[in-house]
Amino acid sequence: MEQGRSKGITPRKVVLAPLDPVHDVGLKLIRRKLLERGHEVTLLPPDLSMEEIVARAKAMDPDFIMISRALSYGISELLAKFVDLCDAAGLREKAKLVAGGLSMKPVIAQELGFDAGFGPDTPVEAAVAYVEGQELDLSTGSRRREKADLTAGFTYKFLDSEIGYLCTTIAQQLIDWANKHTSSGVERARLRIEMESERDSNPGLYSTLRNDYASLTSGEVKEWYLTGKHVSHTRPITEKEAGYIRSLLKNADSIVIPRSQDILNDRNVFVQYGTGCPVMDAYHINLSVAWGARGVVHFDPSWGARNEGLLEQAWSHEHDGTVLTLDNLRLIKGGLIPGILWQVRAHRGLNTPETVVLAHLSGADLTKINIVYGSLGAGTDPERLTVDGVEAMRLAAQHNLPYDVVTNEELCGVPAAKAFAGMLIVATAGVLQGGRPLLQPLFANSPEGMVTGYTEHNFIDFNVAKMRVLSSIIDAPIWPGAPVGFLTQTQDRCQSSVMTALHAALALDSGATAVTIASSDEAYAGGPITAPARVDTLKATAAALRFFGEGGISPTPEAERIETELREGILEVLKKVAARGDFVASLYEGHLGDKEDGAYPGRSGKGTVTLKH
Amino acid sequence: MSIKHRILDGCDVETFILCKDVDEGKTLGLRLMAELGFEDADVVFCEMGGPGVRIRLRGYVYRPSADYQWYDQEV
Repeated sequence: MEQGRSKGITPRKVVLAPLDPVHDVGLKLIRRKLLERGHEVTLLPPDLSMEEIVARAKAMDPDFIMISRALSYGISELLAKFVDLCDAAGLREKAKLVAGGLSMKPVIAQELGFDAGFGPDTPVEAAVAYVEGQELDLSTGSRRREKADLTAGFTYKFLDSEIGYLCTTIAQQLIDWANKHTSSGVERARLRIEMESERDSNPGLYSTLRNDYASLTSGEVKEWYLTGKHVSHTRPITEKEAGYIRSLLKNADSIVIPRSQDILNDRNVFVQYGTGCPVMDAYHINLSVAWGARGVVHFDPSWGARNEGLLEQAWSHEHDGTVLTLDNLRLIKGGLIPGILWQVRAHRGLNTPETVVLAHLSGADLTKINIVYGSLGAGTDPERLTVDGVEAMRLAAQHNLPYDVVTNEELCGVPAAKAFAGMLIVATAGVLQGGRPLLQPLFANSPEGMVTGYTEHNFIDFNVAKMRVLSSIIDAPIWPGAPVGFLTQTQDRCQSSVMTALHAALALDSGATAVTIASSDEAYAGGPITAPARVDTLKATAAALRFFGEGGISPTPEAERIETELREGILEVLKKVAARGDFVASLYEGHLGDKEDGAYPGRSGKGTVTLKH
Repeated sequence: MSIKHRILDGCDVETFILCKDVDEGKTLGLRLMAELGFEDADVVFCEMGGPGVRIRLRGYVYRPSADYQWYDQEV
């Protein structure tokens, strides 16, 4: 037998023996590893009786006898008999007995008299470590402590000059228009920056600024600023609750990381949180990171988009969405494990620029901005969100915050070509302002996919076509979401996890820089997402990545046809918007998604845009 | 203190219940959760196949914003 030598390791004599007729793969893996490290190893054939195994082992005078058993039938009796035979042969005086295999439970092996037992999830390294007298912490994998730069290496150059010219023309027009206008959202963002810089050093000025801020708020938020009355379904965070979050960070260095999820270390898998409660969020974030998430996305309540102004202080919210305040964000940030990417969304609503300010002040790594989706699919007036969105992108560039440009209007029924045209325009406007946008195509069984038949035979072709067409247009990072697999998951957690995992694997296999995944509760609307549901899809995604490995996923020729149609559709939309010469008018008039598609210009903030003085 | 209070948020029970249809399966499932002491329970998933339903039931111990007592007492 060819053997190696590892420095500093005492060579051991090891006998490996299967107790099954055929199942000796695990032992072969152990043999290979032990030989590599210089041990003397004999693997007995799988057809020996226990008496023959013991007789052969005795002749070899080993330090270790390792047996494996895959079948569970009668295992206790078999193992007990084997121990008795070894005792009778005098083997126990020197050799340690180890049992392993699919049917093995470590506790039972030790109860039956074995020195050690390895269960089915035990890595080969554990057996090797045992032979070498070392301890291997089987529960502990590793997580990177450095943050990934999702935009590194991308030039943002248009590879498709025709589309690039149109996007640049339209984006410059919308920036020029927005720069002549302002809104209370823009003003509040400016006030928030001033307030936070004066809060501790100049209480008098802070108070004046705060009054100015309050005068620009509306609804329950205004009532809170004026009277202190809590917004519906919210209550202040208690000191005890804040302590829970602090303790998570305090224990961050000793967090248990399942080794089984290490494959996700090389991928940027994001999960969304926003249970309503920063404490519950902090726990969900913590366990998601343990199970392999490399980034988390903050979800705020939908009412936050419809009210002018954001609250202050730390709040717990009884319904979906965690309230956006600087104090809440700082609390959550306080529980984040080093190395985790943190996104605070500012993609829709009346507080878009200020949300970018809060993201910056609280130390977020990323934000989310899309004028088109926010206008046509999320209820904000197009004119208002164009002004606020351009300011938000300017602030994001100023504070070095990359942002994704999401296209969830596809869920309303807007065709991908229109959604992509809007995304490319907004992303171009971001680049023109010095920003670093990430393109966020929707990976979903969208209404368009169903109606056109793009998703009739598989969920691969349409999504691959989306990745290909975007990659062929501009050299920019692509981050499918959000989350992937929309309208493919059901309430069955097995089906839901598989759909999520396969979409995530497809995205990463297609060249995505990052991917956002759902929990297995994605299609369950009866209550909050639970912690195990988060683990489900992270486990499933790791398994899918392990399954496909470098093997890849192949689309059918249909993907190429869809890619061509998408490019033609994007071009047609851009030509219409460019010909109109007025981006905001194009939003109202439906060039980027109309009522027939299922898109409606939002009404929140209508009539609130004014010319700059 | 009940060990239930160490549950972070919800406890899922996934099983197969022999029944004549989905409605009966859901009813029996919720009765099971009540027997197990879950006051805030729901059916997450239920599908009939063969002699009964594959069912996933959830008992929320703590919904977000609840008064968490994870570490208040020894269990």
